[in-house]
Amino acid sequence: MSRRLVGTIAPVLAVMVVLALPLVTTDRYLFKVLTFVGLNLIVVAGLALLFGYAGQISLGHAAFFGIGAYTVGYLTADGAVPWLIATLAATVLAALVGFTLALPMLRLKGHYLGMATLGFSEIMTVLFVEARGITGGNDGLRGIPYPVLGPFKIATPGGVYLLVWITAIIVLVLAGNLVRTRPGRALRALHGAELGAQACGIDTGRLRVQVFALSAGLAGLAGALYASSVGYVSPTTFSLEFSVLLVAMIVLGGTGSIAGPVAACVGLTLLPYVDALIPGLPREAVSFLQDWEADIAGIVMILVLLFAPGGVAGLIRSMTRAGDSR
Amino acid sequence: MTVLATRGLSRRFGGLVAVDDVSFDVHAGMIKALIGPNGAGKSTLFNLLTGFDRPDAGDISFLGASILGWAPHRVVRAGIARTFQNTQLFDEMTVAENVLVGMHTCLRAGFAEGSLRLPATKASERAAVEQACRLLRLVGADRFADSPGADVPHGVRRLVEIARALASNPKLLLLDEPAAGLNNAETHALATCLRRIQADGTTILIVEHDMGLVMEISDEIIVLDRGRKIAEGPPLLIQKDAAVIEAYLGEVIADA
Repeated sequence: MSRRLVGTIAPVLAVMVVLALPLVTTDRYLFKVLTFVGLNLIVVAGLALLFGYAGQISLGHAAFFGIGAYTVGYLTADGAVPWLIATLAATVLAALVGFTLALPMLRLKGHYLGMATLGFSEIMTVLFVEARGITGGNDGLRGIPYPVLGPFKIATPGGVYLLVWITAIIVLVLAGNLVRTRPGRALRALHGAELGAQACGIDTGRLRVQVFALSAGLAGLAGALYASSVGYVSPTTFSLEFSVLLVAMIVLGGTGSIAGPVAACVGLTLLPYVDALIPGLPREAVSFLQDWEADIAGIVMILVLLFAPGGVAGLIRSMTRAGDSR
Repeated sequence: MTVLATRGLSRRFGGLVAVDDVSFDVHAGMIKALIGPNGAGKSTLFNLLTGFDRPDAGDISFLGASILGWAPHRVVRAGIARTFQNTQLFDEMTVAENVLVGMHTCLRAGFAEGSLRLPATKASERAAVEQACRLLRLVGADRFADSPGADVPHGVRRLVEIARALASNPKLLLLDEPAAGLNNAETHALATCLRRIQADGTTILIVEHDMGLVMEISDEIIVLDRGRKIAEGPPLLIQKDAAVIEAYLGEVIADA
């Protein structure tokens, strides 16, 4: 019973802290960093459904993030399209590209699916640089306006932070609901035993395409918010490195969980900014962390796969299960 | 009334004819058993009937309409549910959740409804959980409801699969060796359970090696040997059938 209580109260408390933060601080840098966390959370919510629940890996989610960012950058740059419409268009476009990509990949699983999405990611990286007329090539797009919602221009770091986090919270709540109902169970069934899932009347092909398009759309939404938050997009942001980092968040957080990847996402996104967030940290420790960031992330991932394949969520589950039997 | 009818069903794997020109009917309300020595083509036949494999020739009709070439999920929606010889439970999910997945075709909520979790969705979810518990009680696996699929003993996995198959509210239930791995008491309980399912109006086609169980519960038996139907009829006639005795004794000698 107490576990259930914690499960209800903890998210509510977290949401209250997140929303109250602009009341207690005006630190622009902090807002900027936390905005990145919120953006990554939106992508991670979709990737948790795709990879953590349905077991379908994608190494191309940075590309969907990029599609969303460039779409908003292109559409809103000259003020031609209102922000909200551009953001929706970016989300839908990313989902459509995801849908189109998922169809021919239906027969692929495991490593092959990873390779196919990796190939897509590389194609998009080249496209972001070469399609100069739309993407601005290596220079990227600059001067992307801040979000405007009706009469309100969201032009302060605090405002952008709130916009991104409210979106992230809504997405996480919806994802949390989804996994507890019929479609969420179907995703887990797909991961568990595909024959069994088919025998239960699940159209596994359709479900795979659906969840891939959904997670691509969420990555596109995050990319769209990113573009109008920071005001520019450049192709290096949407590299394979980012895709791998996103997958690492799911692996570290644990499959079959939303809360685990959320925790891992917060941790891994904040890691490079550790010096600003914990002021007293010695300089050597900070430079060590920053120089070896990728290596630390890699080693942690290997350790997780070797010793705790369930990730953070799996560790917590096995701890509470042991507690129950006592 | 004929629930299921096959005509001239054949399936070849290279030079091997796994199912060879098999025709039979399953009438509403009966328990029909499909028996035969190992490698007789029983599981292949099941895969053909449920859309997991396609026949090279022949036709399958269910409730008067052809279901030939239908994908497995469509076959389930039409009203045929199955279990597997190698159980296909979802190990990461609890037993109750396994049965809830079986209710996929009966529940409506898609991605939008599921993520919004409106009162109507919540209500149907609650009803589904109750139904899942009822089905687990029916097969006698309710005490495992909250255990992960991976932690359930082998015999019980088959029972859970039966509950999961029943969850789709099928008109025809195909069971692939449900008694394998069960002890005498459990087999007896299974027989009672199958009779109750039959009494609820579900027709059953069962592949089983436990001859005691087959003779006890089935109304009719089909015997397959090397892909061919060699006999069909009520249990008492099958026991005396010369071709059947030869097929089984032949196997015993081959084993020895």
